[in-house]
Amino acid sequence: MNFLQPWILYALPLMALPILIHLINRHRHRSVDWAAMMFLVSAKRMNKGMARLRYVLIMLLRMLAIAVLVFAVSRPLATGSLGSLGMGKPDATLVLLDRSASMECQDLQTGESKRPTALRKLADLLEKRGYGNQLVLIDSAGSKPQNIGAPRDLLELPATSATATSADIPGMLQRGLEFLAANESGRADVWICSDRGENDWDPGSGRWAALRSQASLRKGVQFYLLSYADRPADNLAIRVANVQRRQLGNRAEMVMDVQVLRERATTDGPAPARSVPIEFDVGGIRSTVELDLGAEGATLQGHRIPIDSKLRAGFGVVTLPGDANPQDNRFYFAFAEPPARCATIVTNQPAVGEAFRRALAIPSEAGMQHTAVVLPVSRASEIDWQLSGLLVWQAPLPTGDLAASIEDFVKSHRVAMFFPPSGASGSLFGVGFGSWHNLSREQREVSWWRGEGDLLGHVESGDPLPLDDLAVFQACDLSFPEASGTSLALLSGDRPLLVRAPTPRGAAYFCATLPPPQYSTLSRDGVAFYVMMQRALVEGSRALSLASHRHAAPGVLEDLGECEVLAATNRSASQRGLHAGVYRKAERIVAVNRAPEEDSAEPVSIATVDGLFQGLAFQRIDDAVGNDAAIASEIWRAFLIAMVLALILEAVLCLPERVVEKREAAGFAPAGGQT
Amino acid sequence: MAGIVKGPQASRHTFLDPDVLARLSGLGLHARTPMLGSVSGKHRSPIRGSSLEFAEYRKYVPGDDTRRVDWRAWGRSDRFYIKEFEADTNLRLCLIVDTSGSLNFSVDGPDGSIAKIDYMKSLAGTLAYLTSRQGDAVGLYCAGSASDKNGFHIEIPPKRNPTHLRVILDQLVEMKAEGETGLAQALHAVAESIRQRALVVVVSDLFLEPAILNSCFQHLRFRKHDVTVFHLLDRSEVDFEFDRPTRFLDMEGGEPIMADPSLMAPQYRKAMGGYLDDLQTVIRDAAIDYHRVNLSDPVDEVLARFLLARRPKKRAAERGA
Repeated sequence: MNFLQPWILYALPLMALPILIHLINRHRHRSVDWAAMMFLVSAKRMNKGMARLRYVLIMLLRMLAIAVLVFAVSRPLATGSLGSLGMGKPDATLVLLDRSASMECQDLQTGESKRPTALRKLADLLEKRGYGNQLVLIDSAGSKPQNIGAPRDLLELPATSATATSADIPGMLQRGLEFLAANESGRADVWICSDRGENDWDPGSGRWAALRSQASLRKGVQFYLLSYADRPADNLAIRVANVQRRQLGNRAEMVMDVQVLRERATTDGPAPARSVPIEFDVGGIRSTVELDLGAEGATLQGHRIPIDSKLRAGFGVVTLPGDANPQDNRFYFAFAEPPARCATIVTNQPAVGEAFRRALAIPSEAGMQHTAVVLPVSRASEIDWQLSGLLVWQAPLPTGDLAASIEDFVKSHRVAMFFPPSGASGSLFGVGFGSWHNLSREQREVSWWRGEGDLLGHVESGDPLPLDDLAVFQACDLSFPEASGTSLALLSGDRPLLVRAPTPRGAAYFCATLPPPQYSTLSRDGVAFYVMMQRALVEGSRALSLASHRHAAPGVLEDLGECEVLAATNRSASQRGLHAGVYRKAERIVAVNRAPEEDSAEPVSIATVDGLFQGLAFQRIDDAVGNDAAIASEIWRAFLIAMVLALILEAVLCLPERVVEKREAAGFAPAGGQT
Repeated sequence: MAGIVKGPQASRHTFLDPDVLARLSGLGLHARTPMLGSVSGKHRSPIRGSSLEFAEYRKYVPGDDTRRVDWRAWGRSDRFYIKEFEADTNLRLCLIVDTSGSLNFSVDGPDGSIAKIDYMKSLAGTLAYLTSRQGDAVGLYCAGSASDKNGFHIEIPPKRNPTHLRVILDQLVEMKAEGETGLAQALHAVAESIRQRALVVVVSDLFLEPAILNSCFQHLRFRKHDVTVFHLLDRSEVDFEFDRPTRFLDMEGGEPIMADPSLMAPQYRKAMGGYLDDLQTVIRDAAIDYHRVNLSDPVDEVLARFLLARRPKKRAAERGA
């Protein structure tokens, strides 16, 4: 419980007033000569029991009435599950707002989603309680903390509106702590409004430990989590993948895979089967497909939509009927003629270069053009950075301008694969090659690989790649910090075989062996090798396509510069890239949608969240959309009612005994004779 | 009154009101039970005598005086009967007054403050005068401190002569209420010391345990005394209506008690109620003539009610006829 006027609580000692009056009255007593002392002694003896208890109760009730009156005037706030907010106001209040797409899940009756609900309740609380000298907003789609004039402004600002992005809660906390350090704020309240999405919180990240140690150094920082972890029942989310334009003679068509994810029902048991109409809109031409949904949803593979053969590039949108989350009912897509797939191989070993060239030059799909160019390291300056979708580097890791060019290459959504050189090497993307080792028979087999996706993912039929047959005779050590790489395949003894370096865009892979027979059976049993290289080339070449798909995020359209908005849920220039939509720059068309994790991520468990804030002053408030109860509400009326009840009870206890009873007790019959 | 209390001493007996005495002089004091007096009087006796009041016939037995044979009855029935008449005798009135400190309790009345001791003097004095005037014997016993021998410090045995009344009235004038009560010892002592039947009138506030009083009254009744109690209990002592904390000083010298009446009153009234209930039981069991007296009640009314209630019904009926 908190008080809006806590200084009035200094009047609490007034509750001793009844005792004081009682003592004064005792002091002001008079003396009376009394004959019937035997009855007084008897009454005093009886008074030690219930009567004294009654008197003590009367006194306590009077004290309670005064105390409750003082509390009522202090304007108490009921904070419910929040517990105590502390007695004093903070110097600064930071609001960390999760604007991810999943925060738009709304209550179907009120139409209010998690984000505005959290903002409204938080604004109410901050208005009542005060927020100190500074009210600062750190939103998940913004880059810098933003000073807010008044709590009500939180409801109006563009920076608090809905987006299709994902949130980076650890990053937001980091920015908040940096802000507090820069402003040398004393006591601060940090309010996190989030739905605890696992992709947003990234509880496995090593950043949390650093955050905890950093926050523990700042005394007086109180963290509050306003949590909306409830998932809407039977919500549907639509997503499109593998959008391709095909030219079939004089006809042209667009092929795509459509996936509808179905939220698990809140009740026990699988959700009943039902069908849902999916509407496609391509260039203003609409078509509808009825899709039967299972418990988990449904997938429409290879859905074809005929298009004008003259239409070389375009965009469209696929929509679902409205449900709990409007953000995941619409998915934009773009298509264009597939680009030529170009790979550049840099190696000083011709045999190695040839193995890569053979794996990359053979098209995996009919009608596609594949080009693979092998260059020695000395001619690395001749790499065509514009046309290449994949760079295969088998040489000492470069430094200087060449390394910067490779980093820019990856940043532009393309793929670089690094294979170990014969000699010593530096590091790039945080990963470096070490020394070569001849592996024993027991160490040659692949013990584990990641089959869920990426380069070594299972094929469309669901069968795994034949990596069981692969043997590695010589392997080079890969050195990378634990948080700087993800292993995609491991040899026996947990020796990394294939590692993906963390990059914000594009991809950088590091392999520990080479395809020639003296190193491994990659080229001899070439299925896995071929699939891996082809997938890398397809992924890298996708960025060369005139049509591309990106996940909504701050700065996702930076490389396009000024661009035309073809379609978007929010056309504000300042919000570009944060909302789902289609953008065009010259001939390039970019479709921006929410990340897939927004549709499928489970909320982080309470225990995990508590663990993330272990050792810090942290309180969690579990709320839900549609819940009208405020985080904190004034309850002075309840206190006044309590005071009235206390006074009534006191009056009842003070009532003299019934007159009839008194007369019976007296039994007075003056001068009445009897025998 | 003037004929009895004359001379320089008359002005001392201020507790005797001539108007009250005049109003009550027509009402005689009668015993409820037969008395054993030494001289002839106007009260019934348990033995047969020569009064005009016929008592009964009984069969003649050898040795009876033949002069007492009812010859008319012999003529009618041919049997010898002795005709017996009731004997009238005098009354012994033993006034036992409580002089403990609690009798100093006073209340404000219309004519100023009234103390229990003064009320008691007036009551006892008036009763003594009326008794003496009708030729009966009057005695006075003052129940003083419990430490006194026999429980009373003044003992004036009943006598009939008018001079004796003056002695009693003078003692009443000098009487002071002080110390703890010795009423229980006094009642037992009186029961033992008065050998002949008497009318024992107790005037007290009776602030004793009902069990003790029961023992005393049963003792008196065992001695075949006619016992009357005037219980001086003011209404303010029963109602206990105080409005603020009060220090109650014990009038018999005990420890004072500091009490908040708002807190104590219910328990006080409960204790008082229980005491009065128990006292009723004692009175009923001992067949006591009990009169609870409020200090605001006029003495003549109290005594008139007392005297009228004791008038013999048979004679009252005859007079009415």
